[in-house]
Amino acid sequence: MPSPALLVAIPLTVAALLSGLRRLLPRRCADLLSILTALGNLVLASLWTLHALHRTQAYWFGNWYPRGSMVLGIGFVMGPAGCGLATLAALLTTLALLYSWRDLDSGGGHYHPLMLIFLAAMSGFVLTADLFNLFVFFELMSVAAFALCGLKTREPAPLAGAFNFAVTNTVAAFLVLTGIALLYAVTGALNLAQIGQELGGRHDRLVLAAFTFLITGFLVKAAAFPFHFWLPDAHAVAPTPVCVLFSGIMVQLGLFGAMRVSATIFHGSLAPTGLHDLFVVSGAVTAVWGAMMCFAEHHLKRLLAFSTVSHTGLMTLAFGLGVRNGLTGLFLYLTGHALVKAGLFFAAGILLHRFRSVSEPALHGRGKILPWTCMLWFLGGLGLAGAPAFLLASGEARITGAAPWAETVFLLAGVVTGAAVLRAGLRIFLGLGDAGPVDRSSQVDELPETTDAAHTIHWHLYLPACICMGGAVVLSFWAAFTNGVFSASRGFLDFPAYAHVVYSGAILLPQRIAPSFSHTAPLLQALVRALLALGLAFWAVVHLRLPRWLRWPSHLEGSMRPIRALQSGHPGDYVAWLTVGCATVGAAAFWLVR
Amino acid sequence: MLAHYPYFIAAWVFLCGLYGIVRSRHLVHTVISLAILQTSTYILLLAIGFRKGGYAPIFADIHPGVVTVDPVVQALMLTDVVVEATVVALLLAMVVKAYEKGGTTSPDDLRYMRG
Repeated sequence: MPSPALLVAIPLTVAALLSGLRRLLPRRCADLLSILTALGNLVLASLWTLHALHRTQAYWFGNWYPRGSMVLGIGFVMGPAGCGLATLAALLTTLALLYSWRDLDSGGGHYHPLMLIFLAAMSGFVLTADLFNLFVFFELMSVAAFALCGLKTREPAPLAGAFNFAVTNTVAAFLVLTGIALLYAVTGALNLAQIGQELGGRHDRLVLAAFTFLITGFLVKAAAFPFHFWLPDAHAVAPTPVCVLFSGIMVQLGLFGAMRVSATIFHGSLAPTGLHDLFVVSGAVTAVWGAMMCFAEHHLKRLLAFSTVSHTGLMTLAFGLGVRNGLTGLFLYLTGHALVKAGLFFAAGILLHRFRSVSEPALHGRGKILPWTCMLWFLGGLGLAGAPAFLLASGEARITGAAPWAETVFLLAGVVTGAAVLRAGLRIFLGLGDAGPVDRSSQVDELPETTDAAHTIHWHLYLPACICMGGAVVLSFWAAFTNGVFSASRGFLDFPAYAHVVYSGAILLPQRIAPSFSHTAPLLQALVRALLALGLAFWAVVHLRLPRWLRWPSHLEGSMRPIRALQSGHPGDYVAWLTVGCATVGAAAFWLVR
Repeated sequence: MLAHYPYFIAAWVFLCGLYGIVRSRHLVHTVISLAILQTSTYILLLAIGFRKGGYAPIFADIHPGVVTVDPVVQALMLTDVVVEATVVALLLAMVVKAYEKGGTTSPDDLRYMRG
């Protein structure tokens, strides 16, 4: 097997090359080189995932192996969950680069190197076994993301969005660093497994403070309420392929960071003390809040961004439940969401390319000439709602199978976000009803991000969206995929096995077959959810033809002034919310442990 | 108590930085506040690695048995400095661009995306 370090080293090297030669290299060369690099990462990460399903092994840079209980070097642990996420990141980056072939404004040649740095940082983040490296890759990922978000420097709005994003996430990164410093002070170690073993089940005040800082820092990236304010601002202004990476994988990697430190460092104190309930509550609140805000939006990218907030909340909830019940559903849901959301963003990008707008009222009825985009959009809306045959539905059935009360939250968030997407689809592609309310954010116009003639839509704009939507359906019927995810998720929470890999180099994983799952009850539920989402979307669109007392979806759609005012667009407000949230997480952690 | 005072200073500097960002009326001020907030992590890291009477951890001219301060946290701090330099440079570049395009340096006037 090729060295896993190549997953980080190759994209970084090519990025340096592209960045150095950006004035000399023709656009197509830059496109081709970066697509090939991302494709190389995809192949390498897939090979490692297949390998890791049988044998998880550790890789030590410079062969600095552990001595006794002391970990000397920095390493990667090539576990199936980490490798799988590296594969997903490489897949989305490849598709995003394919989408931006030739036409997308490359911000003076900075786009391709930044995308590759972003990919390298994400790959390192999911594989590293070292707490400080986790922070370094987290920051590298963030800095590349800030620059990509503010790539369109010709107008002030992207700069404002990128500035809010950068300030909030940098404060979060320093919270993570403070947590790391405290843990180092307690244990004198930086390796995840070694810290976990030193701490055991210890949860005194200092460890809880470190827990608070680390989890808060990662949850800011994961856009949990009340840390989510930066996310819609960043998504609304970032170029479409960048939105795909933000929503599809970056936000979820924030959650993955929280999961990784919880499963290793705090393995002894998480489930026994009930600290995982923190994730349950935070996830449920975020899911409902994001869904409400999503339905009230009329700027397509912001609408999708709030749906990401909501769905990442559902994943946080799934992690809280999964600490006891297993994470298979969570990883299935994460993959399904990444593919569906990427497809929807690609479709929104096609609308922006063709009509130079992503505002729902401005696009009313104009999408009739784009039947393929229409199909992709409606598939995506149904997928978000959790319609049968989508990967999200099978993930959700496994999550709620163990905790039936969570079904309510999943139903609410899935139906409302799905209905918001379908409502926009009914208005834009079918021209039904009125144009919808005009609000401030829907009036913000985007300058075109593509340089090509708008009336032609090339194959490379459609292909990524089709692959994503197809993947979200095909994977849910592929038994080998489900079994792989099942063994990966069993290994993720198994701390003794993880520590064994770190200290002795490798471990053989027993092959597991996912327990057979009755599909009839979930199928019925999924069908009901899809119909409810469609019903709510129709209701919102044709509400003016209904008697006055039946028009309540129109209240949900736009007149929620007090809570929408919280999304103020001011970095100071966002950091104030972050402080309040951090204090709440800390208070809750101390209260839960008592 | 006296041994803990660097930690209180670190917490105080962190809170000063937070307050500065929250109350900021000028984008450059926001960025500098962020840099101040970052300084607290330097103080924290160095305080953690401090040993009373410890030498600098350069073993060229001292005996390996001599007490030194912890070199690991100093390496972490150096990495931290690099990270901060990158972020602050990027943010200041954004402020310059925002001023060129929008003609303002107040975060209150840069709120294009709301609600």
